This record gives sequence, C-alpha cells and structure tokens, in this order.
Amino acid sequence: MSEQKAIFEARGIEKAFPGVMALKGVNMTLMPGSIHALLGENGAGKSTLIKVITGVHLPSAGTLLLDGTETQFSSPRDAIAKGIGVVHQERNLFPRFSVAENIHLEQLAAGYLKPINYSALNEGARPWLEALDLDIDPATPVSELSVARMQLVEIAKALSLQSRVLLLDEPTASLTSSETERLFTILRRLRDGGTSLVFVSHKLEEVQEICDRVTVLRDGANACESRSMDGIGRHDLVQMMIGRAEGAAAWRHRDTTGQPEVLGLSDVSTSLGHKGVNLSVRKGEIVGLYGLVGAGRTELAKAIMGKFKVTAGKVQVNGKAVTIPNVASAIHDHGLGYISEDRKSEGLILQHSVLANAGVPIWRKLAGRFGALRDKRIHDAVLPYLQKLEVKTPSLNQTVANLSGGNQQKISVAKWLAAGVQFLIVDEPSVGIDIKTKAYLHELLRELADAGTAILVISSDMPEMIALADRIVVMDDYHITGEVTNSGVYDDISHAIMGLIHDAEEDSGAVVPLKEISV
Amino acid sequence: MTIQDINSPPGATGGLSRTRFFLSNEFGLILLIIVFAVIFGLSARGFLSPFNLFTLGRNSAINIMIGLSMMTVIVTGGLNLAVGAMGVSAAMVCGWLIEGLGVPWPLAILGGLAFGAALGFINGWMVVRTGLHSFIITLATMSIFFGAMIFLTRAEAFRDLPAAFSAFGKMKFANYLSPLLLVTLAVAVALAWLYRATLTGREMLAAGASPAAAELSGIRVDRMVILCHMLSGGLAGLAALMLVARNGAAIPSMAGQLGQDWLLPAFLGPVLGGTLLQGGKVSVLGTVLGAFLVTMLSSGLLMLQVGAFWVQTFLGLMLLVAVLLDKARRSYLARRNLA
Ligand SMILES: Nc1ncnc2c1ncn2[C@@H]1O[C@H](COP(=O)(O)OP(=O)(O)OP(=O)(O)O)[C@@H](O)[C@H]1O
Ligand SMILES: [Mg+2]
Repeated sequence: MSEQKAIFEARGIEKAFPGVMALKGVNMTLMPGSIHALLGENGAGKSTLIKVITGVHLPSAGTLLLDGTETQFSSPRDAIAKGIGVVHQERNLFPRFSVAENIHLEQLAAGYLKPINYSALNEGARPWLEALDLDIDPATPVSELSVARMQLVEIAKALSLQSRVLLLDEPTASLTSSETERLFTILRRLRDGGTSLVFVSHKLEEVQEICDRVTVLRDGANACESRSMDGIGRHDLVQMMIGRAEGAAAWRHRDTTGQPEVLGLSDVSTSLGHKGVNLSVRKGEIVGLYGLVGAGRTELAKAIMGKFKVTAGKVQVNGKAVTIPNVASAIHDHGLGYISEDRKSEGLILQHSVLANAGVPIWRKLAGRFGALRDKRIHDAVLPYLQKLEVKTPSLNQTVANLSGGNQQKISVAKWLAAGVQFLIVDEPSVGIDIKTKAYLHELLRELADAGTAILVISSDMPEMIALADRIVVMDDYHITGEVTNSGVYDDISHAIMGLIHDAEEDSGAVVPLKEISV
Repeated sequence: MTIQDINSPPGATGGLSRTRFFLSNEFGLILLIIVFAVIFGLSARGFLSPFNLFTLGRNSAINIMIGLSMMTVIVTGGLNLAVGAMGVSAAMVCGWLIEGLGVPWPLAILGGLAFGAALGFINGWMVVRTGLHSFIITLATMSIFFGAMIFLTRAEAFRDLPAAFSAFGKMKFANYLSPLLLVTLAVAVALAWLYRATLTGREMLAAGASPAAAELSGIRVDRMVILCHMLSGGLAGLAALMLVARNGAAIPSMAGQLGQDWLLPAFLGPVLGGTLLQGGKVSVLGTVLGAFLVTMLSSGLLMLQVGAFWVQTFLGLMLLVAVLLDKARRSYLARRNLA
C-alpha cells in the first residue's frame, strides 16, 4: 500500500458560505483500489468537501491534485471527464425523464441533431440496473419510483460512467440491508479493479464492513486524515466524530396493553392495491412497520392520511369510524401526522426559511384574530425541538436548501414533533442523521409516546426498528404478513422478521433469484 | 454556529442582511428610479411640474394595481393572462349596476369587485380541476370573458356615472397627489401584511413554493390556488375601477382588445420587483417600485417626444434586460456564495 501513489489529493481545502465556514483547511488523500470512509456529524462538511472535489463548488482556498499534478475543475462535467464520478446526497434525477435517459444524461446523443436511439439507450442502461438487482424497465419515468429506487438509479448512473474515482455521499441512506449488501458486492469488485472509492455513511457498521481507510471531519476540520482502518473500532470512530463516547439509549420495555386504541384499520383496501390490512396502534404505543423497499408501507401511510383513497374496510380513530377526505382534514380534524421519507419534495419547502418550515403544521393553531400569525409565537413553539435535535444553522432565517442534508432531515422531523398530534407516522426518520442525533431522536420519540402519542414507525433500518418499536408489523407486497412482539434482542427479532418476509415470498412464488453480477 | 445562534429572535439582522439589502432588487429599483428622475427632471421640461406629478401618480396607481393583480397569481407559480379582460368586465358590471339597475354607487363598486373575484374563482377552479397550467386556462378565459362582455354591453360605454367617480379621479391633495395612489398604497400595505403576517398569506406562499410538501403539512393547496385567483380578479376589478375614475366612464375598450394592453405592465411590475415566476416568493415592495419605474419611464419618454410605439418597444426591451440582469445577478451571487 505504501509504495502506491495517491490517485487524488485534496490539500488545505477551505470553503466559506455566507455566515458559515464550512471547510477550514481539510486534507484527504485517495489511493487506488481502496474504499475510503468520510465521516463526521451533520454539518461537519462532508458533502461540501465532495462538492469541491467534483467541481460543484469552487474552493475558497486549497489545491486539488490528480495523479500528483494540480488541477482545477471548471464544472461537474469537467470533473467527470477527468474520471471523477459522484453520487450526491440529494437526488439529482429529472423526474419526467426515463430511467435510461437519466443514466445516460451525460452522453445522450452523438451529435446535437442526431436523433436519440431509444432502444439502444434502454439496452445500455439495463446491465447497470441488473448489477444492482434493480428490476425496473429502463423506460419508466423516474417520477414513478420510490425514494430508494431513485437512489439506486442514481448509483447506476454513476457506475455507468466507469470513473477512476467514485465518491458516494450517503448512498445507503434509504436502502435496506439486502440492497446495501448488493451494493457492497459491486463496490468491492470496483475496488479490486483499482477504482478509488469514497464512502459516506452514518451507519458505522457499514463503514467497518467495507472501508479500509478513513477521514473524519469535525466542524469543517480534519479530526483524522486518511489513515488506515486497521485497529480502529467503532468506539474510536465515534470518539473522533463527536469528541466523546456514544450515549445511545437502548430499547426498553413499555407496556401499553391497557391503553385505548387511537388508530385502527380493519380489512382496509386502498386504491393503490393494499388488501385486507389490519392494524391497530394504541395510545402511547410505538408500532413498527417493516418491509422491503416497494412493500407498500409509505403508500399505506399516505392512504391513512387521506392522500389516497381507502376503497374498502374500516378506518377508526379513537374508536370511531371515519372517512378522511384529504390530508388537511387528517391533520386538523383528526390529529394525525406524517413525517415524509422524501424530505426534498414532500417534507420541506426548500426555498423557505427554517422557521417558515418548522411551523407549517401548527400555523392554524397559532393563528390569532383575523388569521394573524406572529413569528415570535412560531419561534417559541418550534425552538425546543430544533434545539433538542441540535439543528445546525447560522440562523432560523436561513434558507433550508442551504443546510446540510442531515440538518434538513432534522427540520422535517422537528416540525412534526412540535405539531402535537395524537397519532404520528414516522417514515424513515433518521435518513442522513448522525449517530448522536439519532439517539436524541429516538429518545424524543419515546418521550412523545410516553406522553400519550401513538406512533407508527416505518424504517428500513432494522436496528432502528428494534431500538424503537414495542411491536413490529411486517408488510410484504401490500399485505400484512405477520407481527412480532419486540424483545429488544436483535438476532431473534431480525430473524423472525426476515422469516415473515420470506415465507410470504415463497407463498406467492416470487422469490427473486440472486443474479450473477457483471460489472 | 450551532444552537446558541438560533436562540436569537426572528428577524434579528446582522451585517449580512444589510449587504443583502444592497444586493436586492428593491434597492436596485430605488436607484434606477432616482437616476431616471434626475435625468428626466433635467432634460424633459415640465417633468417635475405639479400637474405631471399628479398624472404620474394617478397612472402609476393603476399600473401598480395591475401588477399586484398579476403578482397574486404568480405566487402560485401560475400566470393570469386574463387580468385585463377580468378587470374591464368587473368595471362594466359596476357601470351596469349603477346605470341599468340604479344601485347606489358604493354598493355597485362592491358588486364590481365581487364580480372580478367571481371570474377569478372560475379561473382558479378550472386550474385546480383540470390540473392544466393557468397559462392555458387564462388564455382561454381571456377571450371568453372579453367576448361575453362585448356581447352583453354591445360594446357600449357607461358614461352617466355619478359625479363622485370622476371627482375622485380629479381630486388632488396638496396640488399634486392623487388619492388613487393612496388607495393603491393602502392595498399594497394590506397585501404585504397578508403575505408576511397572516395564516392565509403564508399558506398561499407555501402552496406556491411546493404543492406536495404543503399538502402533506395540512394546507388545502387547491383552495389556496382558487383564493389567489379570486384575489387577482378582485384587484384587477379595482384597477379597472380606478381607470373608470380617471376616464369618467366605463369603456369596454379601456384595456385594449381582449384587455391585452394590461399585460406588459402586469408582468413588468412583479418581474422587475423580483417576484419569483416559479412561485412561493413574493415582493410587494418590489412590484410597487417596478410598476412605478415603468410608469415613470413611459411618462418621461413621452415628454421627451419619443413616439408612443417606441415607448412600447422600450418597455419590452426593458422586461428582457431586467430578466437577464436578474439572472446574471443571481449567478454572480451564487458563485460568490452571497445568497
Ligand atoms: N449552499 C450553502 N449555503 C450556505 N451554507 C451551506 C451551503 N451548503 C452547505 N452549507 C453549510 O456548510 C456546512 C457543512 O455542510 P455539509 O452539507 O457539507 O455537511 P455534511 O457533513 O454533509 O452534513 P450531513 O451529514 O448532514 O449531510 C453546514 O453548516 C451547512 O449549513
Ligand atoms: Mg451531507
């Protein structure tokens, strides 16, 4: 390793935004045939560093060296041309374009007026999708895909560029463990072929599994620089990231059997294809809803909220049968809330300020006479939650789009914690949130439940599910396949859950064979 | 840079927001207004005379109102091509109520405004129902409203309006200030308050900025879109009634064929003022300043004996230059990371 020459080097990189010094002289050295972890808390500067390396931002100071010679990237395209590929943290797909068009965006047609050969385009996209075991028609418009699938398409797009350096900014944030494994197989293969990879993740198990080198950022500076992962344990990583040991509150037994039911579904079918769904969440209870990507969990949540139609069966709120005509009625008349998994397009209004976003669900409650709304009152109502989740922003007037991904996620969650609803659906709440905040978030959700809120947690992150839920309901292909009472013992519960998923798949004869990967 | 900072009360301004103001559209417009006022004041004789200031104020009152009417729909990310047709229709209804039905004029004015809002309801309802862009819907209703109005009025004006109307149009405070301008400024202040400090205004902005996120946060996006169109119709009616006060009569052709004469001022105000065409961000002050600048330019150019057609050409050019300059300003700020 030591004789090998660095393929890429960033030296003394600084980057200033108005009111924020995002990077204060950061170094990172990338070796060929290596997977390099880039770690740090939310807002530490990981994404900013990646954007500087890939030509999105011009650094305020510092140098970039490619194969030992100094370079500058005038644009992202320029970086791609020089062999640097990237999967950004935020989705950058064109929703109306097909999967294949998105994958080949950089090389759509040979000449300006030459017509695009669509069948060749679709054929060209297929191997990259198959490599990720992504069973979708390349001609599908991206807007029809779920968040996780969009993420996989984005990865496929980056793979198709076959670059020498590939930077992945939280690629696994919304993937389940089986999809993550599939991705890792490919990453290892790329590494063995000599590619230099950078991997950002807040899931330290993943980092330890796949990375051989590590750089940690803290507040825009190196807490450790491009060192080998040998001999570094989880504890050391956490220590470097947050400057102290991890204080994750573990699962605890909570008994809510005596409590009344807040939300009940009996034999519910929806216009999206759910059939015979039965579900009951009691006051103060945290129920997990687990399933693989595409199982129909988010869709069920949206049907409960009145966004999609319930076509058969009974929905009960506090024991009374109700028909919920629209989302506003669910929130304001029935006290239901939904934290979306898709913060960018459904959770937040990116061009508005932190304060404007955090208050939306309680505006109606806070409005005074003539509908007058005072910033002060909104401020007082939401601030405690923003503080508990340690939102990092120069001010509450900052535009949300300018915050780091994890901090955006915190706002998307905080606005619902402040909303004071009696039933809250939490869809992938910790996507992109660092481990420290994740522990706070879990504690907040438990406190909320202890105070009487009924909570339905949807998460692809099995450890999170097992840390939070009292009871875990498993969904597969728009059906509920069973239920597991949580004992907090990871191995037992995960085994039981995977059993429920696989039984269902064998019943329907839809076991997906693991295809040979050809990258 | 962490939580301590977010404890500062909202609206707390530092040096940063002051620099932002100097880089803002509004500041640019104020500069332009001063520069052109000096140029015209020096070169066009009579530009600063009380009489010219009076007509300038009166005309800008109407143009600003037209701009505000468009702005309320731009908030939703849409357009309202029918502003002129709706405004004139509302004014004709008011005239008919007075002359045809003998309704007292204050009630007739309310009737006219309500009619404008009703036309806006039709636009908004169709936009929500069909899911088509308001460009298409209002292009169609522009012809429909205007055609129906011409048919029903037989293209004849209402000229026997109560003296109060034209008296209001001719009234002067301190020899040069038109009360019409005060009406407009009052409406502008009310709109600024609406968007800044009321539930409805905030919901309108949220619905315009991101309909999906707004819906999942409990906002009735469809209602807000309809409400924005109704507001636009009401304001268009108000602009037309002010025109009636100026002319002393409600004339079907007062906004040109299909009401198209209003389109240029309608877009110039909001666009110069920095209201985002994608929706979700609004600048009432900018719209006021933008529309005022435009009115002042046309008045000044006319006084310099530039032909009326050239003035139109000039205004069109100005719209283009404004948009391009704004784009340049934005990308400059983005590159320097100042905004
Ligand atoms: N365009 C921008 N304008 C202003 N500030 C920005 C901008 N982009 C990032 N920042 C700030 O720079 C800092 C670093 O952000 P960055 O996105 O690099 O964090 P990160 O390490 O990727 O965090 P996360 O884990 O949440 O994704 C943050 O404080 C953020 O608010
Ligand atoms: Mg990031």
